[in-house]
Amino acid sequence: MSRIGVFVCHCGENIARTVDVEKVAAEAARLPGVAYATDYKYMCSDPGQNLLKNAVAEHRLDGIVVAACSPRMHEKTFRNAAKSAGLNPFLCEMANIREHCSWVHEDRDEATAKASDIVAMMVARVKKDKRLVPITVPVTKRALVIGGGIAGIQAALDIADAGHQVVLVEREPSIGGHMAQLSETFPTLDCSQCIMTPKMVDAANHPNITLHTYSEIESVDGYIGNFQITVRKKARSVIEEKCTGCGVCSAKCPQKKIPNAFDKNLGTRPAIYVPFPQAVPNTPVIDRANCTWFKTGKCGVCQKVCGPGAIDYEQEDRLIVEPVGAIVVATGFELYSITEKPKGSPIKGYGEFGHGTIPDVIDGLTFERLASASGPTGGKILRPSDGREPKQVVFVQCVGSRAREKGISYCSKICCMYTAKHTMLYKHKVHDGQAYVFFMDARTPGKSYDEFWRRAIEEEEAVYIRGMVSRLYQKGDKIVVMGSDVHVGVQVEIEADLVVLATAVQPRAGADTLAQKLGISYDSYHFYSEAHAKLKPVECATAGIYLAGACQGPKDIPDTVSQASAAAAKVMTLFAKDELEREPIVAKVNEKNCVACLYCKKVCPYGAVEEKEIRDRQGNLIRVVAYVNPGVCGGCGTCQASCPSKSVELDGYTDEQIMAMIEAL
Amino acid sequence: MTNTAQTIDPALYAAVTDAIRAEAKKVLEAGAAAAVVGWQAGRRQGTAMPAIITDPAKVAELIFSPACVNNLALYLSKAKKEIRARGRIAIVVKGCDLKALVGLMGENQLKREDLHVIGVVCAGVQRAGAAKDIPLSEETIAGKCRECTVHTPEGADVTVGTLPDLPHFTPVESEELSRLEAMTPAQRWSFWKEHFARCIRCYACRQVCPFCYCEQCLCDRNRPQAVETTPRPAGNMAWHIVRAMHLAGRCAGCAECERVCPMDIPLNLLNRKMAKELKELYGHEAGFEVKEKGPLAQYREDDDQSFIK
Repeated sequence: MSRIGVFVCHCGENIARTVDVEKVAAEAARLPGVAYATDYKYMCSDPGQNLLKNAVAEHRLDGIVVAACSPRMHEKTFRNAAKSAGLNPFLCEMANIREHCSWVHEDRDEATAKASDIVAMMVARVKKDKRLVPITVPVTKRALVIGGGIAGIQAALDIADAGHQVVLVEREPSIGGHMAQLSETFPTLDCSQCIMTPKMVDAANHPNITLHTYSEIESVDGYIGNFQITVRKKARSVIEEKCTGCGVCSAKCPQKKIPNAFDKNLGTRPAIYVPFPQAVPNTPVIDRANCTWFKTGKCGVCQKVCGPGAIDYEQEDRLIVEPVGAIVVATGFELYSITEKPKGSPIKGYGEFGHGTIPDVIDGLTFERLASASGPTGGKILRPSDGREPKQVVFVQCVGSRAREKGISYCSKICCMYTAKHTMLYKHKVHDGQAYVFFMDARTPGKSYDEFWRRAIEEEEAVYIRGMVSRLYQKGDKIVVMGSDVHVGVQVEIEADLVVLATAVQPRAGADTLAQKLGISYDSYHFYSEAHAKLKPVECATAGIYLAGACQGPKDIPDTVSQASAAAAKVMTLFAKDELEREPIVAKVNEKNCVACLYCKKVCPYGAVEEKEIRDRQGNLIRVVAYVNPGVCGGCGTCQASCPSKSVELDGYTDEQIMAMIEAL
Repeated sequence: MTNTAQTIDPALYAAVTDAIRAEAKKVLEAGAAAAVVGWQAGRRQGTAMPAIITDPAKVAELIFSPACVNNLALYLSKAKKEIRARGRIAIVVKGCDLKALVGLMGENQLKREDLHVIGVVCAGVQRAGAAKDIPLSEETIAGKCRECTVHTPEGADVTVGTLPDLPHFTPVESEELSRLEAMTPAQRWSFWKEHFARCIRCYACRQVCPFCYCEQCLCDRNRPQAVETTPRPAGNMAWHIVRAMHLAGRCAGCAECERVCPMDIPLNLLNRKMAKELKELYGHEAGFEVKEKGPLAQYREDDDQSFIK
């Protein structure tokens, strides 16, 4: 007969409010095989765990059921407690009577009866639990960082400085991301390029960092400690090893009028180009869609003028396989645009602001390029339409953000601060100009942030109007801004020379596709989900993958850098071990019954199933069966469900255990 | 009344019989196959039964006639290890039997290079209980042969026979399926409940099915017991649902299960309904090409999800 111990947790009031925990413990005590049952206010606390440990010794328990929260929350806690009491940790199971019971029910009697059923099922299961031993797998001490913005660069530098190899993959021809596009940064107004470009150079020159720019993630295989990443290095048409970055090709390229996306299309660039002068690496790329050679087969000027012979029109995409042990995802954000959205999209555009057709209605990032010393205007604030200096500029906050009717309900977090900064930059450059800001409320928590905002109003004379803008339209060379001032209770109309919209921060297009390759979860906006909002803010639910920066949610630079360093610290923690212990919840094949139809191999999402030949001592083949590689198995149980002869079973979730649980009901 | 004078010319079967014997002799003498799996005459007049010939002198025992109903693919599945152990096997198949062979190859049970496939052109076989030794007619032809689309097997090593002009037969199988589909779910449930209530759990359907090659069927397990073994309604229902689900996307439609059922349960009707669902949902038809993954072993984003309500 088993000697099972049942420990029913109150979880403060979380469980005890709806479930009669004493009754659940009393009923559990009557179950066959239960030697001891009790309840306690906080099982996970130190006295709670001691209660469990003492009971194991005192009542000679050979199995434990903790009726409390989700196993995702505290299974590890109680298994460790069981282990320190001398029990095999896998003989300790959680009965989830919180998320699965007390939190979702109101009727006390019904909830109590259900809690008792859940406990009875887990008692039936724990009786058939086996003593399992953790599996160890080696750790590849190399990290992959996806995205070369400030988040990716910071994470890569931190990991590389700790002495580990890092592969940094960036989609664009240069690293730097959005921060390289900014003019000055809040709350100190130091120049973004001045603090960013040295970090870009550090990353490129670091002996431990391998940089793949103009590259994307093709596929991801493997698991924590042992990922295999296939990187697609897109054809640059320039041989990186030969190019000296002299720039003659760009200077001689006859195609000069291509809008430069880095400058938000305000400036132009040639067909062979580096996106900005401080680009890292300083190796140009041919934009094949706009290159005369690729369009007509004639020209070839860049090849003729290139001294080192670095131009290669025949270059093709290359696939490189990088083995890594951990992944930091830092793919950043892009700005919402007010243009018309495709039909059926949950996110809408702003017809009342002209759907992006008024040339002097720009977004915040475009204003950054105008204000940047290295931007298309050399740092002068000039209107895109006629190049005139605007004397009245209206800034509109919360465009797209906090606008449920437009499909986005979250706050983009950075706009209040950067708009305050924009008003200052404008005042510094156009002394006789006037800045107006339409805002809902100013959100300025953060060190020196509120002071910064107050300074914009009190010293730099920005006029803040609390209210929303209902319409923008062109009138002559002015833009009429129709809004409301809710403090005064009147409608306001301003004739502006330039309007700057603080548009919402959104995840990068394609964030969902990358998440599917990585096997990580994302929310309805496609921001990546952390494992726990409070306690695991940089970890993904998928082991070995960490998040940094705005791909997880809107973030300013200080937060992004902090999170990047936190993600790097998590990677270093992982790399501090030579071997990883994995839960032995893996599938095993009953070789006697297996007929090798290999249905399991077809359905396995981890590629863990192989064919295995069974031979006699003379080496004659007796039969072929399926074999599950325990290092690769993710323990999902898909094979078990699909096996027609029921020849493969997941330890801890065997058919026998599941049937016993059903019968316990 | 239907036109019973319209019959299938028996000359086809005689010609095919000669060709099978010649081919069997050739492969056995050349050592290209260790055994030929085919049919031979049964003890009673006008019947036939499976035969395994290893001696070239005995090839004259092989026949092909409307009584050659058995799907011989069964003899190459894991359930019949002793035959496979002989080495490379030559097998005589009708078009419908070949579909089962193709399915077994897709499930890693057979390798094409281990087989010498002798395809026979087949105009049809007898239904169970039909009068023997008379030419096939509306009265005697099996249900599956009336709407056959695979009279001539594709992809065999040799194919023998020439298809004669065939009379028109009433399509009973599709009519049976339409009747089933016209029922309300409640009517369908009671239709199957009544049929399955008669099941005596002899498992003849399992034993004759080329796809039931598990060495230990999960229905024979007792720890834990997944399906009740005594012939009572709940266990019968569970067994037939397991059988239908395990065959979905795999069943080649040979209808042997229905032919051997001593209780006349329309088992192939259930198989055909499942096959139709898979064709409509995923465009999948079993038995025409060796597929790495069937529709139920893979997930595609464009899979039909409309059944989730």
